[in-house]
Amino acid sequence: MTKGIFEGLKVADFTWAAAGPIATKQLADNGATVVKIESFKHPDSIRLGGPFIDDKPGINRSGFFADFHSSKLGIGVDMNHEDALEIIRPLIEWADIVAESFRPGIMKKWGLDYDSLRKINPRIIMLSSSLYGADGPWSQHPGYGAQGAALAGIQHMTGWPDMPPAVPKGAYSDSVSPRYALSALMAALIHREKTGEGQYVEMSQIEATAQLVAPQLLDLQVTGREAQRAGNVKPNSILHGVFPCKGEERWITLECETEPQWQALASLLGDLDGLTKARATDSEALNAHVSQLTAPMDAFELMETCRQAGVPAGVAYKGSDLLEDPILEARDHFWPLHHEEMGTLKYNGPAYRYDKTPGQLRSASPRLGEHTDQVLKDVLGFTANDLAGFRDKGLLQ
Amino acid sequence: MSTAPGKTSGALQGVRVLEISSLSGAVCGRVLADLGAEVIKIEPAGGEKARSDAPLIPTANGEESASWLAYNFGKKSVVADLDTDAGLADFGHLAKSADIIVTDFQRLSLADMDRLEPIARAANPAVVWTEILPFGRGHEYEDMAATDTTLQALGGHLYLNGEVDREPVRIGLPVGLVQAGAEASNAALMAYYHALRTGEGQRVDLSVQEVVIWTLLNTTMAWQILSLNEMRGGAIRKERANRFYTRLVWPCQDGYVVFGPVGGGGGSARIKSYAALLKWMAEEGVTDDILTRHDWNGDGQFAIPQEDYDAVTEVIKGFIETKTSGELIARAVRDRILMAPINSIKDIHENVQFRDRGLFKPLQDPDRGLEFELPANWVRMSETGLAEMAPAPAVGADTAALLAEVSKVKEAS
Repeated sequence: MTKGIFEGLKVADFTWAAAGPIATKQLADNGATVVKIESFKHPDSIRLGGPFIDDKPGINRSGFFADFHSSKLGIGVDMNHEDALEIIRPLIEWADIVAESFRPGIMKKWGLDYDSLRKINPRIIMLSSSLYGADGPWSQHPGYGAQGAALAGIQHMTGWPDMPPAVPKGAYSDSVSPRYALSALMAALIHREKTGEGQYVEMSQIEATAQLVAPQLLDLQVTGREAQRAGNVKPNSILHGVFPCKGEERWITLECETEPQWQALASLLGDLDGLTKARATDSEALNAHVSQLTAPMDAFELMETCRQAGVPAGVAYKGSDLLEDPILEARDHFWPLHHEEMGTLKYNGPAYRYDKTPGQLRSASPRLGEHTDQVLKDVLGFTANDLAGFRDKGLLQ
Repeated sequence: MSTAPGKTSGALQGVRVLEISSLSGAVCGRVLADLGAEVIKIEPAGGEKARSDAPLIPTANGEESASWLAYNFGKKSVVADLDTDAGLADFGHLAKSADIIVTDFQRLSLADMDRLEPIARAANPAVVWTEILPFGRGHEYEDMAATDTTLQALGGHLYLNGEVDREPVRIGLPVGLVQAGAEASNAALMAYYHALRTGEGQRVDLSVQEVVIWTLLNTTMAWQILSLNEMRGGAIRKERANRFYTRLVWPCQDGYVVFGPVGGGGGSARIKSYAALLKWMAEEGVTDDILTRHDWNGDGQFAIPQEDYDAVTEVIKGFIETKTSGELIARAVRDRILMAPINSIKDIHENVQFRDRGLFKPLQDPDRGLEFELPANWVRMSETGLAEMAPAPAVGADTAALLAEVSKVKEAS
């Protein structure tokens, strides 16, 4: 087996919810030893979010949690215990990277802010990722990615002009932030590789997500125009929309930016005259006419025909479609991993492939405290007696 | 590249990136440039096509793309015709001096990528070749036409957005392509970290479809575990694989807020948030049995009937409608209520949190007659600075200087 890029890299991972764990997961899937520290009295909140295996909530039963924790080790420590640092301090000495995504101030309360960490380990790189950032008037406001998406303009830009904004699926800013956080973290790691100097990297989820509206912010300042949600309208295209197909909730996107694409689509939809007439009327008439033509068609067959004809087309995939998509299968996007309580589930792998150092999802998500003994003994060198002592005073689960 | 006082230059100082790009490759280069890399765009004579992407804004040069300017400031530009021997020779010299090369499918065909990568590799075995493709490599569809909307659909996100009684609706921004660019920046840096330590370069191929899948967060698990295909919703929807609908967008006097007071999952923050809301409502005389009939954010939330969710929503909605966005957010921040305003673009530009943190940095571009701010200060690093703001390059602005530099290196070696 080829070694992953981060073979030998050590990460003490205090992150929770989505944005932080999605970033550290990618370090783990590329070979790093990532130890997730959970406070067993206050476990990761997304362990409490569904879907739960057999539809029964339980601390080790959430698929939501599982998907972000492949290849990681998990330990359970009472972080509010007065002696917690007896375990955490050696972990900081061991680590190259400490990552956390708590509300600002929590790490400091535990004696684990950057200034404290660097005294323990001068080469440490610390990543703090929070929704609003470490300072500013809203820094203490709790929140989730749906709030982040609203603050950063994603919701404003999604939906129909005659309706309230349509909330895009999920905690959207949680999906943007890890991509930027990892780049900053990598830059810090590269800087350390070259200079030996560690550092503190501090990020706000909403600031990362605002990068998606940088052009709109520029446009506003120069022209005074403010971008608005516009349904599926895309200016300057001949055709751009989402059209019904045969079956329950089957939809396809069709798009023509060039005349050859238009000719090809009109020909495969089999009504060049009708479509030409509708196009000459307006986009509403054109979309209505295309909808009539696609409604009896099989979405997947239509997509295939469009692909062969060079017309951009995409079935609006449901969750089940993703798991059956031939491209994702050929790419080995999903990794079946076995978990003691959840059985075997297919986890999402990364969006990129390395031809020399392929990533590998090595294990399913840890149960709460699953690797406590293993990590304390094998990684930190504690004895069985030490562990018994920690358990006696309630430090460990 | 100079930086803030007391800091050395950017963390990626000394890293050279070549960018043969459209939108997504440019976003990759943007992130790398922000972190201190020298990013050189290789453009055809007359400039790359993305220079005319919508929206267009008036400048001293006529009209230019706001998108292009926002994602390309502070970079360099070299003109090279990659269809001629001379241009390919220039490309080889530049590749020899580079650490990372990034390209994307809207700029280069797969055949062109296959033609250029060996030239770069021959010149520089350690270089990281990064390509952003709609579906990545390794299957019969690797060369199929695709757009951002196609990929929002095939990544599974489009299906989940919009009103139940209309067709699915896209996010009205090229989110797949922009997110793919950001993802490519970290994937390329991981490979560069490897090259730095081992001397081994490699190809990184990135799938925009898979980037979009990573915006779903639990959709593929919901299908595997519950045989549940999540359904879209607008203001009201089933969240987090719930079987019941809850309201997430709430009209207020002057706009909308997003808020999930009940049934949004567990955790003490949600429980405290709901308690703080009830306290506020009670202070203003709004009480109702339904508000306390269930433990709305506790373990039993999954068993509460839909009609009760609807009833509690009506009471809360009636309260929120009497408030302005400003009143709601001030109280929310004070009492830790899990609420946020749905910011417009203008709201973002004026937002107090962004302003206080110094997210926006001014950029003077006298040649274009422009002066504006961009959300460029997206990360704080204690020892290394972010790049200073500098205008986007004119087409080929650095051709002479850079080609002279790399050919000199060639002669010396």
